[in-house]
Amino acid sequence: MADMEAFVAGFTALGDISLLMLLVCATLGGVVIGALPGLNATTGAALLLPFTLTMEPVAAISVLTAIYCSATFAGAITAILINTPGTSASATTCLDGYPMAVRGEAGRALGLAVISSTVGGVFSVAVLMLSAPILARAAYNFAPPEYFALTLFGLSMLVSVGGGSPIRNLIAGAFGILLATVGTDLLTSVKRFTFDVTELRDGIGFVPVMIGVFGISELLAQASKLNERREQITMKAIKLPSREDYKRVWKTILRSSGIGTFIGILPAEGATVASMIGYNEAKRWSKTPEEFGKGAPEGIAGSEAANNSATGGAMVPTLALGIPGSPTAAVILAGLLVHGLRPGPTMFTEQAHFAFAIFWSMLFVNLLFLVIGLYGARVFARVTLIPIPVLWPSVFMFSVVGAYALDQSMFDVWVALISGVVGYFMRMYGFSVVPLAIGLILGGMLEQRLGQSMVMLDEKWWLMLTRPLSLLFFILTALALFGPTVWRLLKRAKGLERKAD
Amino acid sequence: MSMPTSKSERYARWMVPLGIVIFALVAIYFTTTFKKMPPILKRGIQPSDFPQLICGFIIFLTALMVWLDPIKLQERADKSTFGTFLALFIFCLLVQIDLFIALGAFAAGLSILWGERRWHLIALVGLAMPTIIFFLFDLVFRIRFPRGLLTNWWYG
Repeated sequence: MADMEAFVAGFTALGDISLLMLLVCATLGGVVIGALPGLNATTGAALLLPFTLTMEPVAAISVLTAIYCSATFAGAITAILINTPGTSASATTCLDGYPMAVRGEAGRALGLAVISSTVGGVFSVAVLMLSAPILARAAYNFAPPEYFALTLFGLSMLVSVGGGSPIRNLIAGAFGILLATVGTDLLTSVKRFTFDVTELRDGIGFVPVMIGVFGISELLAQASKLNERREQITMKAIKLPSREDYKRVWKTILRSSGIGTFIGILPAEGATVASMIGYNEAKRWSKTPEEFGKGAPEGIAGSEAANNSATGGAMVPTLALGIPGSPTAAVILAGLLVHGLRPGPTMFTEQAHFAFAIFWSMLFVNLLFLVIGLYGARVFARVTLIPIPVLWPSVFMFSVVGAYALDQSMFDVWVALISGVVGYFMRMYGFSVVPLAIGLILGGMLEQRLGQSMVMLDEKWWLMLTRPLSLLFFILTALALFGPTVWRLLKRAKGLERKAD
Repeated sequence: MSMPTSKSERYARWMVPLGIVIFALVAIYFTTTFKKMPPILKRGIQPSDFPQLICGFIIFLTALMVWLDPIKLQERADKSTFGTFLALFIFCLLVQIDLFIALGAFAAGLSILWGERRWHLIALVGLAMPTIIFFLFDLVFRIRFPRGLLTNWWYG
């Protein structure tokens, strides 16, 4: 009954015209961000996070989620028209979208992408509305040991995020956790790694680090990509898929929506992994797999439905458990914390209206980009041709001013700049910056929950293994960390056995 | 283990892990300077325990990385990258004079460095953009920027 009340109250929050206008603007902004090669949903959300600080929490988080959904969708525009994925989640859309555009069917390809994205997005928000309160209710009785084990499980999923290798991802994540220990220890009030710098007493802020590692480090990385040429394919008009197209792709759209939502729900796994699996499954189930890579409609539908449905899925653990479901969800989680909100089970009891307002705004945005995608793709495609020497200096200015605006402190600007340089060198040597950001956000929680568990269990940490749920999460952690390696070794051993036979 | 191809890759293969290990060891050293809590106030773990655990984990993973997953250069720095770093350094110096002078100079300089020769676009990023951003944040978001040559003149 309380859920129903929150469900309705959340919907009525959308009756606020200023919020609707803000969502329209954020969706348009998100589409521009997603269409610009180099910028993606995570960078966009990190750069715009300081702008949301003066807003009400519902408006602020709705704006961030709108950017998340629309930027993920908009990556398809550049993927299809210039063979450059606007976001990494659209990389698989290039494989069939661009060949289709080359043979003069750019409008049809974009139409398929828009419809698949909308269905995927709406499906995942419906799952989010149903499952997040249930998951939160299940987590309501979690004690610190369960939370510690859950946070550890969330961190263990870092092995497969970003572009880095599992070991390097874990090193980057551990570095993020170490950064989270800077400042006054919450349990004992002892100052750690502060070196008598006043600004470090409160710790290193999430926002400047995120602006640095996602925005400034990308600027430095762009410096060596200046010679990349982008040529746009001309398109007369965007076309809705024909009845034949629908017949051909509806199963793929539904399957990929399910896959994407499930992948999104897994901690730290985002739209990129979802789109890859969605695409591969579309190919595996197709009657004409030989057409994949040459402009198969199922290829576009499989990739786009999966990557957009991952957005709603990723918000499930973010809101219900406080564990980010994707890199962009990590930025949104930082936004929630900066606004003083506590993601977790209490969000669905004490702040249920807020949570449902976010769900409804996500649904609205998913329906909105059906209109924007169908009528505005031609205009947004032009955005991709903004000269790099104009775009990135402007991004830098927003990064610096955004970092400063948070606490009106130049210290944050220096943190952003240093994080940017560190992030650039990390990328240079094959370390993804995503685990660092997630480690920084979850590090504080991990330590706090470990400390609380130790107090609760009278400093006998091994008692955590006697609690069924903690044990389950520890087993899942071990599977996430060592499962792929053990599986590979087993496969290799089987292969050798077969050879010997 | 695959063999590194270039001199810089051979250098990175050992120097990067070494740098990480030294960083973790220095961090461990600093943790030894943290205050110890008496048992009655300890609250489960000492303030230095968790960072030490993480540093130990970093060292262990770095050793594994050297063995199983040696460093390979993913992105190579070229002339433009070094130029961008130099521009960033100059930005840091100019910030001491005024944040918006530094932003404008950096943006225009970077634009030229990255090959832009159209003056109207250079003026757009070097003059118009910082001005728009300043007024947007000052008048709409009510952010007060640090004092400098231009901001002193504006704030009085």
